[in-house]
Amino acid sequence: MAAEMAYIGAGIAIGLTGLASGIAEKDVGAAAVGAITEDVSLFGKAMVLMVLPETIVIFGLVIAILSIMM
Amino acid sequence: MSLPESMSRVVIVGSKPRLEETVDALYEMGIVHLIDYTNDSDEGFAIGAPLPYSPKASERLLKIRAVEKDLGIKARKAKTPSMVLSDVKAEISSGNVEAVEKDVLQAIDKRNSIAQKITELDAIKSELKILEKLPLKLEDYSGYSSISVFVGTVKEDCSAALAAVPNTEVFVSAAVKNERPSIAVFVKNEDKAKVSAILSENNYIEAPVPAGEGAPADVLAKIEAEILENQNALEEAKAAIVGVSEKYKKQIVAYDEELTDEVRKGETPLRIATTEFSFVVDAWVPTAKVEMLEKGVKDLLGDGVYVEFQETRGRNLHESEHVAEKEGKRFEVPPSKWNNGPVAKRYQYATSLISVPKYQEIDPSIAMAIFFPLFFGFMIGDLAYAIPFICLGAYGLKHAKSKEFQAIGTVLFYGGIWAALFGFFFFGEMLGMHFVGHATETTMTWEALLGVHLPDWFAGIMVNGHGVSKLGADTITMLLKLTVYVGIVHLLVSYAIGFMNIKMQHGMKHAMQEKGGWFIMVIGVSALCFGLSGLMGIQTLNDTVALVGLIIGVVALVIGVVLAWPAEGIQAILEIPGIVGNILSYTRLAAIGMSKAGMALAFNYIALVMLGGFGPFGDGFSIGGFIAGALVFVIGHLMIWVLGILSAGLHALRLQYVESMNKFFVGGGVEYAPLKTSFKHIINKPENIETEA
Repeated sequence: MAAEMAYIGAGIAIGLTGLASGIAEKDVGAAAVGAITEDVSLFGKAMVLMVLPETIVIFGLVIAILSIMM
Repeated sequence: MSLPESMSRVVIVGSKPRLEETVDALYEMGIVHLIDYTNDSDEGFAIGAPLPYSPKASERLLKIRAVEKDLGIKARKAKTPSMVLSDVKAEISSGNVEAVEKDVLQAIDKRNSIAQKITELDAIKSELKILEKLPLKLEDYSGYSSISVFVGTVKEDCSAALAAVPNTEVFVSAAVKNERPSIAVFVKNEDKAKVSAILSENNYIEAPVPAGEGAPADVLAKIEAEILENQNALEEAKAAIVGVSEKYKKQIVAYDEELTDEVRKGETPLRIATTEFSFVVDAWVPTAKVEMLEKGVKDLLGDGVYVEFQETRGRNLHESEHVAEKEGKRFEVPPSKWNNGPVAKRYQYATSLISVPKYQEIDPSIAMAIFFPLFFGFMIGDLAYAIPFICLGAYGLKHAKSKEFQAIGTVLFYGGIWAALFGFFFFGEMLGMHFVGHATETTMTWEALLGVHLPDWFAGIMVNGHGVSKLGADTITMLLKLTVYVGIVHLLVSYAIGFMNIKMQHGMKHAMQEKGGWFIMVIGVSALCFGLSGLMGIQTLNDTVALVGLIIGVVALVIGVVLAWPAEGIQAILEIPGIVGNILSYTRLAAIGMSKAGMALAFNYIALVMLGGFGPFGDGFSIGGFIAGALVFVIGHLMIWVLGILSAGLHALRLQYVESMNKFFVGGGVEYAPLKTSFKHIINKPENIETEA
């Protein structure tokens, strides 16, 4: 039973963090594209902001792996 | 780690009549970065006036640019044979720009007037199309004094309603589906209003009657013939424009370059301080080239113009502030001249996307040149994906013109090499399959697929004899740990560079407070997490080792916070979880590799085992299965490969920008932009002329 719960937990960890990353990136991405349209030199800074929320899902992945492995 | 090149400040002075040749000489040497003079900077000086030839050159440049726009020529990108500078100058001064403009405008005007004529004829044609349906001649519609005439189209036949109005004569065309009927109504002037009311109820649109005589159908035929004639003439006019463009393209491109250069030179005095009889040029020159400047000025200008060395600017920010206070704000910021070797140079573009390094700051391009392709290669980690990356990258490096594609080519090439190395020696993988080993129910290996026993020497050079599996239960934890350690090292390197920056800019004490504290805190957090993971049973560790790790971690954290407190305050404590976040962020190196390996596994299983029937678990060969399998195999791996560029490229870049450069790079420098002439289509000496490029 514990093993099954661990798999469900891993799924939730990945799923919810993925969703969270998506929601965050949606807003950042829209604003970033707007900013780049105004001024192309902002690309670097926009990209940094754009990929910041991706870390959330990476954390989710780490937790998921740990919960399956342990 | 490289700093922008050392800069020295010089003053070049001379008498005003020598200004023009001085500007020419400075452009020829191409090493002087001008410090703009602003009107209120020094008493007794004023901004210089443009050189005498400047207004005429501007006017001609405008003409040439207009001609380029008309002909659709892009001067910088055009591939035309080069011209000799002296010829270009002679042609421009003999009025060739105006002659070219005249010829081009003539051709353009001719085309425009024919196009205009065709538009007018088209309008008459559509009017005649309406009248053509009515049984009247053109002259029938006009010439009455007591009768009003309505001609046009209506929504539907309304002749019955109009018949009720006295003194009217109505002509309506036969009904055709999806077409508004044409109508002509002749009515005595006193009943005009009634007709008008009925017509407007029927959505009447008036059609003007063109001048002329005879049946509309005959006139229409004539007009159509005329349109055809004009269309032929239009084609000829367009061909003539292409002819003019071909004829003058070489000149136009060369004139554009020369005139741009003249205008730039001509307006340079607007950035220079002058008095009634003299001029003073303040400028930055790379320290290594000061002597070259002195010699150049002496050789090119002789006596009467002098170079005076002012200072070589150090990297301490207080020095710059001091000079700014004493001599003026415009002397505060020296320009940054990139100072990288041939490989690191290729990463300057990626750095400049964030910002140009300050003069007093280490250029992150070298760190980027080391870690960016390394991370990219680790995430790809597959021999088969790596080879096209290397080829594509090499092609990009050789042929790409734009900075963006050069940068992408660089990452693909060097990243591809790392990917091949990791793919072969570390992961032992090609197209998501290990070289060595037996197939299982879901995974294939090259050994099982090809049925060849790969000799031991081949396996002997790979980790574990068969490589590290990206998806194996036992290896994932190892990969995650490995990437965390890589992260710790990368962060420590970043803080170390930050430490060097602050030490250089503000001294040792500030460096210890601003970066040293964080450096020790990273060590502390790492040791603490190491110890905790042992004590919590996340990894198997000797209790003593775990405890020692914990204690070292706590001590280092306390030292780090104490050190960082004066500079950061409470932030030093609040940001500790941020360090954990930063370190864990590097697990993406393993995660991206895993996601790609997962996709490859699925495609390989579908293509090779399910459809292709290969290996001990497949159900045998069939033609249909083989074709379907091959399709899935090719499309699937192509998709993974393309995703690889995007995800591995972006994540590797992000680790540089966010995790690393944030720790030491501020940027905001002014890029070194010396006065210089850059001709692409003009050469100085006749013998260097290329044939058709």
